[in-house]
Amino acid sequence: MEQSKNMVSRAGGHRSSASRRYVGLAVGVGVLLAGCAKNAPQDTFQPAGSNARKIDGLQRELFYISGVVGLIVFAAVGYAVWKFKDRGQDIPEQTHGNPKLEIMLTILPAIILAVVAVPSVAAVFELDKKDNDCVINVTGQQWWWEYDYVQGSTCGGVEITKSIVTSGELVIPADVDVLLRITSRDVIHSYWIPKLNGKRDAVPGRLHTLRMQADQPGLYTGQCTEFCGLSHARMRQAAVALTTADFQTWVTNQTADYVAPEAGTLAAAGEGTFQAQCSKCHQVNDLVDGNGVPVLAAPDLYVVSGAAPNLTNLMTRTAFAGWTFDLITEECRDKLWNAKPEEFGALYLQGVTPECFDEAALRTWLRNAPAMKPMYADPAKLAATGGKTRGMPNLNLTEDQIDELIAYLLERK
Amino acid sequence: MAIIERPADAPAVIGESPAQTPALVTPTAAMGVFKRPVSTTGWKSWVFTVDHKKLGIMYGAVALFFFLVGGVEALLIRLQLAAPDNTVLSADLYNQMFTMHATTMVFLFVMPMAAAFANYFLPLQIGARDVAFPRINAVGFWLFLFGGLFLNSAWFLGGAADGGWFMYSPNSSPLFSPSHGIDFWVLGLQITGIASLVGAINLITTIINMRAPGMSLMRMPVFTWMQLVVQFLLLFAMPVITVALFLLSFQRNFGAAFFDVDKGADPLLWQHLFWIFGHPEVYIIILPSFGIISEVLPTFARKPLFGYKFVVFSGAAIGFVGWGVWAHHMFASGLGPVSVAVFSAATMLIAIPTGVKICNWTLTLWGGKLWFTTAMNFAIGVIVLFTIGGLSGVTHASAPADTQQTDTYHIVAHFHYVIVGGAVMGLFSGFYYWWPKMFGKMLSERLGKWNFWLMFFGVNLTFAPMHILGMQGQPRRMVVWPSKLTGEGFFNLGFWNKVSTLGSFTIALGVLLFVINIIVTTKKGAKAPLDPWDARTLEWMTASPPKEHNFDSIPTVHALDEFFHRKYEEVDTDAGPRLVKVKTGEEVLAIEEAAADAHIHLPSPSYWPIVLALAFPVIAYGVIFNLMISVVGAAILVLALFGWVLEPSVADDTDYDPPAEGNGPTKELASIG
Repeated sequence: MEQSKNMVSRAGGHRSSASRRYVGLAVGVGVLLAGCAKNAPQDTFQPAGSNARKIDGLQRELFYISGVVGLIVFAAVGYAVWKFKDRGQDIPEQTHGNPKLEIMLTILPAIILAVVAVPSVAAVFELDKKDNDCVINVTGQQWWWEYDYVQGSTCGGVEITKSIVTSGELVIPADVDVLLRITSRDVIHSYWIPKLNGKRDAVPGRLHTLRMQADQPGLYTGQCTEFCGLSHARMRQAAVALTTADFQTWVTNQTADYVAPEAGTLAAAGEGTFQAQCSKCHQVNDLVDGNGVPVLAAPDLYVVSGAAPNLTNLMTRTAFAGWTFDLITEECRDKLWNAKPEEFGALYLQGVTPECFDEAALRTWLRNAPAMKPMYADPAKLAATGGKTRGMPNLNLTEDQIDELIAYLLERK
Repeated sequence: MAIIERPADAPAVIGESPAQTPALVTPTAAMGVFKRPVSTTGWKSWVFTVDHKKLGIMYGAVALFFFLVGGVEALLIRLQLAAPDNTVLSADLYNQMFTMHATTMVFLFVMPMAAAFANYFLPLQIGARDVAFPRINAVGFWLFLFGGLFLNSAWFLGGAADGGWFMYSPNSSPLFSPSHGIDFWVLGLQITGIASLVGAINLITTIINMRAPGMSLMRMPVFTWMQLVVQFLLLFAMPVITVALFLLSFQRNFGAAFFDVDKGADPLLWQHLFWIFGHPEVYIIILPSFGIISEVLPTFARKPLFGYKFVVFSGAAIGFVGWGVWAHHMFASGLGPVSVAVFSAATMLIAIPTGVKICNWTLTLWGGKLWFTTAMNFAIGVIVLFTIGGLSGVTHASAPADTQQTDTYHIVAHFHYVIVGGAVMGLFSGFYYWWPKMFGKMLSERLGKWNFWLMFFGVNLTFAPMHILGMQGQPRRMVVWPSKLTGEGFFNLGFWNKVSTLGSFTIALGVLLFVINIIVTTKKGAKAPLDPWDARTLEWMTASPPKEHNFDSIPTVHALDEFFHRKYEEVDTDAGPRLVKVKTGEEVLAIEEAAADAHIHLPSPSYWPIVLALAFPVIAYGVIFNLMISVVGAAILVLALFGWVLEPSVADDTDYDPPAEGNGPTKELASIG
């Protein structure tokens, strides 16, 4: 770094070098801003949908204007510092200002800001429209997102005939503007898929809307952005856009009947273990116990937020536990994330295949979930919550039980 | 004027005519209260002082201590973020760390450091001998110190607050934050809040009532002006946060339900209350620094501040418009498009007076005779860095753009350019500028330049990359950021996070040099003359450090930059009129000293401010652990209040050892406070 060399050699302060340092700084800041990461998955400067693009247009305009104004100010300061340094000149005339100049310098920024304000205000109202046919309820809780596809909604021509409850990955038809209705079950969260739109807070007791549209099939990552407690950093999400045909396939699969594991397999044993250990909180749709009685989860009895992810189709998703830990290998993940739009749908609809399945994270999770993701699940410290946990507690499963559960869960797709 | 001069046999109460009861209650007669602690040396002269200069120094020393604490917290945060999936701090500790870093820097460093300068220099700048309410001034300092210590004692009593400095409800309720950290935070801020509030009342009264003859409002130094605006902001903002904190306190400790959705409340209520306080707070933080550099720039450019009136009025305009922009912190909160549009426009509006200031500072340099001292470097640094922070602020004044930027590192970059680049660098300018006056010793310019350039580059190295991090999708307040989201190429987000961490240590090195500078020059620094910078305002027209009574005779003010105009006069030469230095500062002072006032009376020291302040943390510990402790605290409070009001407003002669000569309070007389 040129400036820092300059700084070191000149330290101790010779007046004459100050101006060069300021000029150097302006250049340095410019260089810094030019060096952005390539293909950052959450880059707001690479919008992938109409809503985000509208914001990006405004944002760029603001950055350009700010940049130009900044350069003018730096140039003026730099010039003054160089030109008017003490070279033994007379004490300057004690002038107190120039009202005309100052009035001009007040009006000029006002005009610039007015130019920016008008499209900003227009965009506020445009982004707030709620004329969509496709409506998905999005509910935040510590520390994951639940999606509930509203029955009767039409998403890109595909009718949702039966409510679909899923988590982590928001699957939407590409090129369709869907409306998210966002709320929370506990503290305030904020839903954000940077490439598709700005953020909207999920506030308990309130319903907020957010439009979401992706031009192309693909996977767009996001993150909860309102600080929501201990594991805020591990509350992530993604939006997955599919072609209308692929979306139809996805909907059909999500609403398909439950297929019990083949008797005698490890997975069949897993179904029993699941009912014994997991189904108090986690729902698998249409699951019945030995007597044919439906198994219904009641997370409200055990968890502060009153909800736990629906696991009916766990293996159609690529990550779990607040979309934080991968279910697939890094190689498969990279392939999926970087797939071309026309290849993406087929790849995604495969779900977690045996070749791609990476059991490491899931196994560690089942051994001791709070060790992987802090969740205040320490049974000794649950007095304030009346014994309820704020996430999945350590279930003290045996390795055999974990083997069975993994076998069972692998079939949930 | 606070200092009332009267003959020894006159009654102690003003307004009472001498013909009426001349009886003066001696302290010993009044319920046997203690003698006043009149010693002028030793620790007692500090602990019981009501001298605005001593209190200013104590404010500064304690604030500097908390600056180092907050700095260590910042370094730990940056260490944790230096690498993806790092494990320096646990999630719990990280959340406490960023909560306390912000709280410490805002409430325990920047605000009290500005208060330190205000305390020390306001009376000097307006030609007064003390503030209007000296004992209240003292209680303000002790409340700040005890509140800060109380707040930080949480670290050792089960963990500090973990809800973020914005403490959004319902995450701040006991259900979601079961430790006592947030209780410490709430009560600690209540205590320091009293300090800010009484300080504001005191300084407003001082500025309005105690200016030297001839010092009209439009002849006041800009630092005093900006402090006046700040004190009004505090006066109106502190009650709002006090109410909000009480609501939260009652919610946490007594089962109230102000933010409870289940009981029909709306958690957004907290956000509105917090930001109605929180946004003016931003200007409370930045305006003192604007004031400081508005003193430093003219001094070292050797010409008056360009557009004094515009700077003053734009400061006042910021003070007004600052109340109408709070909801720009809530653009993603779901307020609805009309509110969002209005607040978006109002936010852009406030950029105008801010821009006016930047233009005026630049034009102050224009045509000057610039002397690049460390103080000047810091002041120019403020212009440059604050401009960056201000312009990035404009990028999120536009509400749709803000929905992308809010809660990302782009915002962190923005407000650190404003607070570190604007406020903190401005305070450092103040350190180097006023240090000789406060301590009679010059700080080393050599170390000072190193300090400046390390901090200047450090700030850019730390915070400039955060613009990129935020815009490319790294949110704030996350204990870990995953490597899979860093993008590709050499300049990926991992690289910029490392640069930022490196920068934070560069700043730390700069601050370390400042501390070394203090130590070295205190031991063997050059003695400061009374006017080392050829300065312009009244605080320099006195000894370094100033005498206890500031001025031997209260100066009469004829112009803005009075001191400058006493030193310089226009002299006609062949080449036309020229400005010539006709007197040195010492010569000006000698004239003043020759006309010294015969009787100078100063407020007497008192035990009661520190005792009164001590009651508050005791009460607060009681609220957290056992209400019986609060009863003890309340008893101390009542005792201190009685002691305070029964204390004669003036030290009696018998308080002195040996007793002062005369009959009654002749040695010193009372202030109205």
